[in-house]
Amino acid sequence: MASLITGFLNWLRSLFWKQEMELTLVGLQNSGKTTLVNVVANGQFTEDMIPTVGFNMRKVTKGAVVMKLWDLGGQARFRSMWERYCRGVNAIVFVLDAADHEKLPAAKAELHQLLEKPQLANIPVLVLGNKNDLPGALTVDQIIEKLDLRTIGSREVACYSISAKNSTNIDMTLNWLIKHATSGSR
Amino acid sequence: MNMGKKDEDSGDSGLFYHIDKSTVLQEARAFNETPINPRKCRLILTKIVFLLYQSEVFQTKEATETFFSITKLFQAQDIPLRQMVYLLIKELSTIAEDVIMVTSSLMRDMTGKSDVIYRANAIRALARITDSSMLATIERPLKQFIVDKQPNVSSGALVSSLHLFNANKEAVRRWANEVQEACNSKGAITQYHALGLLYQIRQHDRMAVIKLVQNYSKGSLRSPLAYCMLIRYACKIMEDEEPGSRSLYDLLEGWLRHKHDMVVYEAARAICNLRDVSSTELFPAVSALQLMLVNHKPTLRFAAIRTLNKLALTHPAAVFPCNLDMENLITDPNRSVATFAITTLLKTGNEASVDRLMKQITGFMNEISDEFKIIVIEAIRSLCLKFPAKQSLMLNFLSNVLRDEGGYEYKRAIVEAIFDIVHHIPESKEFALSHLCEFIEDCEFNKLAVRILHLLGTEGPKTPKASKYIRYIYNRVILENATVRAAAVTALARFAVNIPELRDRVKILLTRCLDDNEDEVRDRAIMYLRIIDSDDLCKRYVANESTFSWASLERNLVHYLNDQGAHSQAFDISSTPLVTKEQEYAETSRAITAAAELTSPTLRSAAAALGTSSAAVGQRAAPSSGDAQAGYAAAMEKIPQLSQLGPLFKSSSPVALTESETEYVVTAVKHIFTSHVVFQFDCRNTLNDSVLEKLNIVLKPIEDEGADELALETSIPIAQLVYDIPGTAYVVFRRADGTSPSAVFSSSLQYFVKDCDPNTGEVDEGEGYEDEYQIEDVELVVADYVLPSYVVDFRRNWEELGESAEVLETYQLTNVANIKAAVQNLLQILGMLAIDGTDNVPDKATTHTLLMSGVYVGGAKVLARCRMVIGGEGVTVEVAARCKDENVARTIVDAVC
Repeated sequence: MASLITGFLNWLRSLFWKQEMELTLVGLQNSGKTTLVNVVANGQFTEDMIPTVGFNMRKVTKGAVVMKLWDLGGQARFRSMWERYCRGVNAIVFVLDAADHEKLPAAKAELHQLLEKPQLANIPVLVLGNKNDLPGALTVDQIIEKLDLRTIGSREVACYSISAKNSTNIDMTLNWLIKHATSGSR
Repeated sequence: MNMGKKDEDSGDSGLFYHIDKSTVLQEARAFNETPINPRKCRLILTKIVFLLYQSEVFQTKEATETFFSITKLFQAQDIPLRQMVYLLIKELSTIAEDVIMVTSSLMRDMTGKSDVIYRANAIRALARITDSSMLATIERPLKQFIVDKQPNVSSGALVSSLHLFNANKEAVRRWANEVQEACNSKGAITQYHALGLLYQIRQHDRMAVIKLVQNYSKGSLRSPLAYCMLIRYACKIMEDEEPGSRSLYDLLEGWLRHKHDMVVYEAARAICNLRDVSSTELFPAVSALQLMLVNHKPTLRFAAIRTLNKLALTHPAAVFPCNLDMENLITDPNRSVATFAITTLLKTGNEASVDRLMKQITGFMNEISDEFKIIVIEAIRSLCLKFPAKQSLMLNFLSNVLRDEGGYEYKRAIVEAIFDIVHHIPESKEFALSHLCEFIEDCEFNKLAVRILHLLGTEGPKTPKASKYIRYIYNRVILENATVRAAAVTALARFAVNIPELRDRVKILLTRCLDDNEDEVRDRAIMYLRIIDSDDLCKRYVANESTFSWASLERNLVHYLNDQGAHSQAFDISSTPLVTKEQEYAETSRAITAAAELTSPTLRSAAAALGTSSAAVGQRAAPSSGDAQAGYAAAMEKIPQLSQLGPLFKSSSPVALTESETEYVVTAVKHIFTSHVVFQFDCRNTLNDSVLEKLNIVLKPIEDEGADELALETSIPIAQLVYDIPGTAYVVFRRADGTSPSAVFSSSLQYFVKDCDPNTGEVDEGEGYEDEYQIEDVELVVADYVLPSYVVDFRRNWEELGESAEVLETYQLTNVANIKAAVQNLLQILGMLAIDGTDNVPDKATTHTLLMSGVYVGGAKVLARCRMVIGGEGVTVEVAARCKDENVARTIVDAVC
């Protein structure tokens, strides 16, 4: 009975107040996760960030949606902890340095390994090929092919090519995210 | 919502009384909910902290799970919740894995706007989760926070640095400038913390510490706590100084006039604890304490009286002027203060005032708890030994309190006090025994009754009217339980053995005991009836005054049980050394005194614990009685080549053979066995980029004399010595029969060096190269063969040995300046124990007699008397040693020159 009432209250609240969504940003180190969060939050690009040790938690309001962003460190020692922060989120955002070809296999392995976790089934994934302002950056199709995104079944997968530096395609990304405010396994 | 409400209610009523770990961890799932309910989460966090503080064990997995769900709470902006989160992070930092995960979040919190209250909390939490690999990341912000305008932030950073300092000395040293700046901060507590850190950074540089103390003593500090620290540092400096010089005493005296009571007290206490303090030096401190005795704050009164109490042990005369104030304190409403006042008065009082004091105590005893009563009883016991003339008064008092209500510990203290009096003041014996007899008539503690019966059995027969005790003892046989009855039978039998006139009558009583329904009682009665008429048997079983040395008996038995091969034969008890009852008594009383002298932990031990060199710690620990020796013996038992050497006679205290900052740090301990000498070398490698293999200690005799009698038997190398992990090598010499040679050896380490990776510790391939490292010489001296031992009555033992066993020589000691130094010197050379407190030399003494006692290897008891007089150049010493074995006495006397 109590849960019914709480559910009803939540629904009522969602009509009048802002909607909350939770997102987790993962990806190898130096792919631009923290930079992307800053661009989304402040609309400003700042270069030369210190590597994230652990995670950063940011809340960003976009329109009627409050986004809670878990920005996780990409160094190898933190990768095993990604899963903990991906459980129950509305969407997982995988950020990729599209200009760094050497790290592609590692990125692919980490992504697939993460998505194999049964706890994370059905959570939509957005793959962002960042740094498309740099020469030699991969296009969307190349990314889909290199990361083997087509083999990922049973969940929604999207892929955009963006540039946090030039704010290219950031709007598109936000729209996709807001659209998924009510999705996920919650 | 509903949940939160319910929890809150239960928290109000039972206050976490019935909480259970698994339920709480279930509740912790609320951390993952959206939106977060801060009140509810705070409550759950409080419960987890509560469990942790109740020593509930969290498994690594549980702790990690909890830790990660707590990190989810970083999304809430609620300030109290965030502070709780920090608290939990600190608590879980040692249990959970991957705590480094919150680094970025904490850094964000602490660099946030200056008006957030939790910045300091974030800094403190960060210091806990940081390992040395991450230190570089947080170094810059920490330095900046140390000089932050807000005192709490600055304090937080300073305390964090203190914690980090233990593991990362070099890094923290780099921010000494910032710390110095923080010393001038406005916040009092910040000054205190900054001073503490500054000291840690400089503590190994004596001159720097002196400068630090002198600099800040001028009054630039505002925190009284900081002044207290300065006082302690000043004491530390003076402790390391040459005896006699007191460079910083004036500072201490100046602080006695400080406006904060705390500082005044600390300074006074420091002066009281100075080594060899003179009465002139004490005077201002005692006056300051005297003023505190009439202060209206009970804490100050307590602190002052406690310090005076301790001082009265060593300098009763200095405390004497306070007597009037202390007498007023006897009626103090705080009973702890009153107890200390009384016991101090007992120590400072003269014979005349004892009667009055005892009267006051009698009224006072009913008002205090058992623990304090025990303190009072202890004081009376020592008083009685001091003024034997007052024994009847004291005994009356003791027997009165013995009749009062009280727990076992209290009664035991009284009974032990009476035992001591009986032992030391023969005139009191009869009177004391009759009191004890009365006590056992109605004694609820078996243990005490048994001990008293034993005492009656040994002491009773020596009194003129022995027959009167028999009634008391036999009453026990009729009325008591089996344990006491058995003890009573033994006591009765002793009367029969020692007093032939009573024998027939006691035999009748013992015959009655044959009907007892307890085996033990009957068995004892039968045995005694059987042996009573034969003098031979009596001597063997009853009058025997010696017993086994318990410590070595235990060691031998353990050795026997562990050695499967030895089980085919019965345990050979003859290998266990025998000690007389006197010796055993002396040993226990020495243990008691030693325990009483253990003072509260001081700065010195803290500093030693912080010191990196394990050798330094070892040296500190060594003087704490024979525990060290038992430890060595246990370690050597495990080594097959050494376990064959028989019982360990003596282990010397560790001697450093290198400076503590060299590449390899070596300390040596010499162990004397029945016919062997074992040198133990504790080595430590302080180079993190090399590994030593097959490390052997090479000893070459320098002086020919004595070295002939030593034959190298084996040496046990260290297979591999890696960075910072101590290893132990042994060298075993065999001594020619019955000899105890002195010798000097030049010693060096021989080993193969291999390089290794400082970070991973991985050893490079290849042979490595051979190398040698010279260390200081090892000396084997007479003191190594002498075990300090205690004699109760030096004079009687001295007379018993007689002049025929005496060797006497007179020497001129030119290398010592005063009697005090001479005494220290003699004790060190001979390794014997000073008797009757003769190692305490009054200042400016011109003559002194030092009495010493010891046991030479082989078991010969040796006594020495050194009469000293100052004259000409240095001190003239007449050394006389007496021992049944004349060679031993000769060796002892010769050792002095």
